[in-house]
Amino acid sequence: MTDLTSINTELWREITGTGGDIRKCFNCNTCVAGCPAAEGNPPLFIRNLVRKVLFGLEEELLEDETPWLCVTCSACEEMCPMGVHPFEVCLAVRRWQSRNDETFIPAAITEIFETGHTQAVGQVGAKRKAVGLDEVPPTIVKFPELLKLFREMLRNTDIVRDNDYMFRD
Amino acid sequence: MTYGLFLGCNVPAVRPDVERAIRLTMPQLGAVLVDLEGSVCCPAFGAFPSADETAGLALSAWNFSIAEELGVDLVTECGSCYSSLRLARRKLLEDREQREKVNRLLEPAGKEFRGTVVVRHLIDVLFNDIGPDRIRESLKFPLDSIRATVQYPCHTLFPSEVVGFDAPAGRPRMLRGLVEALGATVRTYSRELQCCGGAGGFVKGSFAGASEFAFKKLRAIKKETDAELIVVSCITCLEHLDRMQNELNGKDGDARCFLPVFDYNQLLAVCMGFNPAEVASISTIPRDDIISKILSL
Repeated sequence: MTDLTSINTELWREITGTGGDIRKCFNCNTCVAGCPAAEGNPPLFIRNLVRKVLFGLEEELLEDETPWLCVTCSACEEMCPMGVHPFEVCLAVRRWQSRNDETFIPAAITEIFETGHTQAVGQVGAKRKAVGLDEVPPTIVKFPELLKLFREMLRNTDIVRDNDYMFRD
Repeated sequence: MTYGLFLGCNVPAVRPDVERAIRLTMPQLGAVLVDLEGSVCCPAFGAFPSADETAGLALSAWNFSIAEELGVDLVTECGSCYSSLRLARRKLLEDREQREKVNRLLEPAGKEFRGTVVVRHLIDVLFNDIGPDRIRESLKFPLDSIRATVQYPCHTLFPSEVVGFDAPAGRPRMLRGLVEALGATVRTYSRELQCCGGAGGFVKGSFAGASEFAFKKLRAIKKETDAELIVVSCITCLEHLDRMQNELNGKDGDARCFLPVFDYNQLLAVCMGFNPAEVASISTIPRDDIISKILSL
C-alpha cells in the first residue's frame, strides 16, 4: 500500500525541471505503443513513469529499474500528442535516481572520465592497423595533456564532485 | 565540402573497418574529411545524460568547440552520437543558463561553445550534399542484380524536429535511394521502420526481450523478401543485427538466418574497388561470399 501522507507533491517539478509539462499527460499509451523496451521483462511503460512522478511516489521510483531499458530511439518523443517529451522524462528520472541512490550511477561515466570514451579506443592498435588505420585514432586518447584538462573539467561537475571516490586520475 | 569526422567510441574501437571505409570513400566523392583532434564520447545517452545534465552538455560542447575552431560541421555515422549531439546543441542554444554553466566548465581548457556549427549524419551528407548521381558515377563494381534491404537508424528519424533531414519523418527514403544508386534492388518488408533495439540499456537489462524484438525484424526480412544483404548506416544497427542473427540461429534451427550486414560506406567502398580486407573485414555473419559475388558481377 502506498502511504499517501508521505508523497512528495513537488516531485514532478524537481524531476522534469524546465522540460515539457508532464501534467498534460492523460495516460493515452501512445508512448508505450511504439516503444521497443515495452517488450522487455519487466517492460518499460513510460506512461507509468509519468504517473509515478506526478503522484510523487519517491519510494516506488527508487525501486524502478525500467527507465534504464530505454533504447533512446525517441519514437515516444515524436508521437506524444501532448508534448510531454517522454524520452526527456525517462532521462530525467534516471538522473533523479542517480542523485538519490548512487548505485544507479552508470559505470560508463567513470570509463569516460578515465579515457574519454565508453570503449577501449586507445587499446585496439593491432585491430586498427590491420585495416590500414593509424593505431591510435585522433581522439582524446592521442592527447594525454587534453585528457588531463578534460578530467579537471569533469571534477567541477556535480556528479563527479558528489561521488569523487568513483573517479580515479 | 569539408567536414569534421566525429568518430565516437564504437566505430574506432569495435568496427574500425567502418572508419576505414568512410575515410576512403568520402574523399572520392569530393567530401574532404578533417580530424576532430581531442574529441570525446558524444556523450552516450546512458552515460552523463542519465546522471548529470550539465556534465553531459559539457561533453557535447567540448566536441562542438573543436569543430567550431576549425569552422567545419561535424559528420558522424553513429546514430546515437548524431542524436546526442543534435539534442545537446538544441538545449545549449535554448537554455542560456545551461550554456553559461557549460562554458564556465570549458573555460579552463581554453574551449567555448558558440553554436556556430551543426552535426550531420552521413546519410544526409551522402544524399543531399553529394547526391545519388555522383555516387553512381564513382562505382567500379555496381550491384546490378543484387537484392538488398535497408535499416533506417532511428536516431536520424525522431524527434524529427531536432534530428530529421528525411521527409516526411515517418516515411524515410534517402538510405533506400543511396542503396539504389549502387545499382541494387531494395526490397521492402513489414517491419522496415522498426528500430533495431540494440541501443541504450534494452539488451543489457532485458536480453530475452531485446533479442525477441530483433528476431521479429529478422524473421520478417527472411519471410517477406529475397534480400541477400542488409544495409545500415549506424554502428549499433550494424553490430546488433549481425549479432542477433547468431542468437536467432541458435533458436530457430530450421530457419537459419545468414544475411550479411553492411554499413553503407562499407558497401560503397567495396563497389568502388577498395580492398574488402580493409573496408569490410569484421563481422559475425560472414560477408565473403556476397563480396565475391559483387566483385564478379
